[in-house]
Amino acid sequence: MKRFASGIAAACLAAFCAGVAAPDALAADYPARPVQIIVPYNAGGGTDLAARVLAQTMEKYLGGTVIVRNQPGGGGSIGTSATAHAKPDGYTLGTGSQGPLVMLPQYGGIDYTINDFDFLALMGRNLMVLAAGKDAPYKNAQEFLAYAKAHPGEVTVGNSGAGGANHVATEGLGMAGDLKLKSMPFGGAVAAITATLGGHIQSVLAHPPEVATHIKAGTLVPILVLEDDRIADFPDTPTAKELGIDFTWAAWKGIVAPKGLPADVRKKLGDALDKTFHDPDFLQKMKEMGEDIDYRPGDAYKNLAMKDSTVAEKVIRAIGMYNMNAKK
Amino acid sequence: MDIFQYILPVFSPDVLLVIALGTLGGIIIGALPGLTATMGVALLVPITFGMDPVKGLNMLIGIYVGGIYGGCISSILIKTPGTPASAATVLDGYPMAMKGEAGKALGMATIASAIGGLFSAVVLATLAPQLAAMALRFGPAEYFSLALFGLTIIASLSGDIVKGTIAGMLGVLLSCVGADPISGAARYTFGYTGFAAGFSFTPALIGLFAISEIFIQLESIFEDRVSKVSVAGIWPSWTEMRESAGTLLRGSIIGTIIGIVPGVGSGTASWISYNESRRASKTPEKYGTGHMPGVAATESANNAVCGGALVPLLALGIPGDVVTAVLMGGLMIHGLAPGPLLFQEHPGVVVGLFTGNFIANIFMFIFGMAGITYFAKILLVPKKILTISIALFCFIGSYAINLNVFDLYTMLGFGLLGYGMQKFGFSQAALCIALILGPMAEANLRLGLLNVDNDLIRFCASPITLLFLALTPLSLAWPILQERRAKKKAAVAKTL
Repeated sequence: MKRFASGIAAACLAAFCAGVAAPDALAADYPARPVQIIVPYNAGGGTDLAARVLAQTMEKYLGGTVIVRNQPGGGGSIGTSATAHAKPDGYTLGTGSQGPLVMLPQYGGIDYTINDFDFLALMGRNLMVLAAGKDAPYKNAQEFLAYAKAHPGEVTVGNSGAGGANHVATEGLGMAGDLKLKSMPFGGAVAAITATLGGHIQSVLAHPPEVATHIKAGTLVPILVLEDDRIADFPDTPTAKELGIDFTWAAWKGIVAPKGLPADVRKKLGDALDKTFHDPDFLQKMKEMGEDIDYRPGDAYKNLAMKDSTVAEKVIRAIGMYNMNAKK
Repeated sequence: MDIFQYILPVFSPDVLLVIALGTLGGIIIGALPGLTATMGVALLVPITFGMDPVKGLNMLIGIYVGGIYGGCISSILIKTPGTPASAATVLDGYPMAMKGEAGKALGMATIASAIGGLFSAVVLATLAPQLAAMALRFGPAEYFSLALFGLTIIASLSGDIVKGTIAGMLGVLLSCVGADPISGAARYTFGYTGFAAGFSFTPALIGLFAISEIFIQLESIFEDRVSKVSVAGIWPSWTEMRESAGTLLRGSIIGTIIGIVPGVGSGTASWISYNESRRASKTPEKYGTGHMPGVAATESANNAVCGGALVPLLALGIPGDVVTAVLMGGLMIHGLAPGPLLFQEHPGVVVGLFTGNFIANIFMFIFGMAGITYFAKILLVPKKILTISIALFCFIGSYAINLNVFDLYTMLGFGLLGYGMQKFGFSQAALCIALILGPMAEANLRLGLLNVDNDLIRFCASPITLLFLALTPLSLAWPILQERRAKKKAAVAKTL
């Protein structure tokens, strides 16, 4: 009996040692097998294409195969949940986009939170511009403010979908500026922009590349941007801050991992990503694809995500969408 | 004429080869259930980055045109719509194949696709800037009234009006699953995030038409005999062509117009065209039993959408569907922003794409006609093996779209539903139409009402909205009027 007990103890000890030793052994020769990046959107979309180019370049610096796996659905929550619940061994990473990380958990019914991730690198940000149709009753930021103050609830602002970044940003802008804007969720940015072009709604909150053509053609007028400083695409368009509205917002995406990566694996990944984002070939390819690279290492990325999460929670609570999908 | 200086480069062998490859690839992608033209274009975009813009984009247009056409092959031969655009082709195409006229059905589908495609290519090349303005006339209220009008098709298509209405209502209800379009709240998902975006459309269609048919086949799978299906010629006769002439023209016009209106799509176009063809026909009762104009109607319309959808894309920079959105991305990567300025700044690209679209339709016709005898060989496969292979393809195809297991549940669920509907005489077509148009009607009604502060007078104020709202009761009453007229005619005949 005693022998049996000590046998169990020995086995437990052995298992414990193996358990402790294993990550180190793994980390030393990491990556020993292919690393996969889960993209929570369809193949061929913007995030997917960017992730594929990134994976290609990253292989060079990580010294192993990096593959992209698409796991779309649920507005990105399915793939992001898969990343959150994967083993934190550095073999499963994911693209971390603002919607699934910052917004979706606030609506409830999602089995992860923003605290379930290790943030590795911010890839890029998609800036926001408010653009008005050419027949809208305002042509610039001052007129917009004056009109919105004089006609509360009559300023229609289209966005790409209910609960998405552009929706939350519209509501946030309204709250920060004490304006009553009528947020109109369309099925995608194109539908919202088309409705603005046709004069069915007054304005649209969109990303600059989506409206640049129309602004150049004079069919849309840029009103304001939601950055700290004016942006290169529209240097004559003021920021909301210049108008005294303290609100900035941009959508973003980056690379995340399930929380709890071993420190040396994390460092290896961080270094490989750092080199990737300084690779001239990679930067050239991303530029050709129209991706605005705004690389920030792990901690800066995390700060941005956490800050946005706090702002989003405030806005989402105020418009009564907080926890609306939670199981009751 | 310096326009030839832009047209000629498209006829250089390397560009022609790329268009041909794109079109052929598109046909194959389209014919495989679950692989759609959208997916083909999306996956091949990166390849075109390095190409000259006219060459690369024409390859994508080839895939688009080929993919929309290719869907009809599996619709006709195995009752499995290869793409949602070809779902309506099942109605008459499959019964034709069962009557031993698979060759002719495919022949007519190919001819109709080519006519629709070429018609819209000509419209695109001649009237694009003028017609593009129409795309902007459609706001939420207009889309709602168009969707409502489209839903009335159910009344005339479903045979038994009560059962048709039930099927249609069920379709609208099922399309409510998923995120609420205005508030974003999850509806009827029972906490499963997999259904957060609602039922995926293509797996639902594959279930509704193909899986239900497999269940029916399973009942008799052991009475195995090679069904004596002959291909029986591929060219429709002159009389048959003349019978379909009006339908082809009507389908081409409907497809082109629907294509120009952003976001409506080839599925809707083919259903509306089918219904209009039936309404205009002297023998509407033949539709659904393997009637050639039925195939002509749907295939001319869905391929006409391709050219139509390029109108707002090139002239306004508005992509009407996912494929044209990807094409727009392709243009932007080459530094070519679509829109009015494109015509002035890069006429070579515009003319090159017009020409390429034309050529892709011709290639589609050649490959289609040449391939029919080979496509139809699939019917010689013993029923046991064919049924099992189709089932396998349905599973792979439905899963491949999103790599999401929930899509398989969707497919099986709709398969069981479709089986039950077929057994009890409910129209699957009605359910399919409701699945397409239900969400469009709901989202746009609510957006439109939100926009005008629930003021119905302002909601209905535009001429397009009024037109469709007026056509809606007419379309609903049509089957009743027709029946009454037929009765009167019969009575007159009796008294004579």
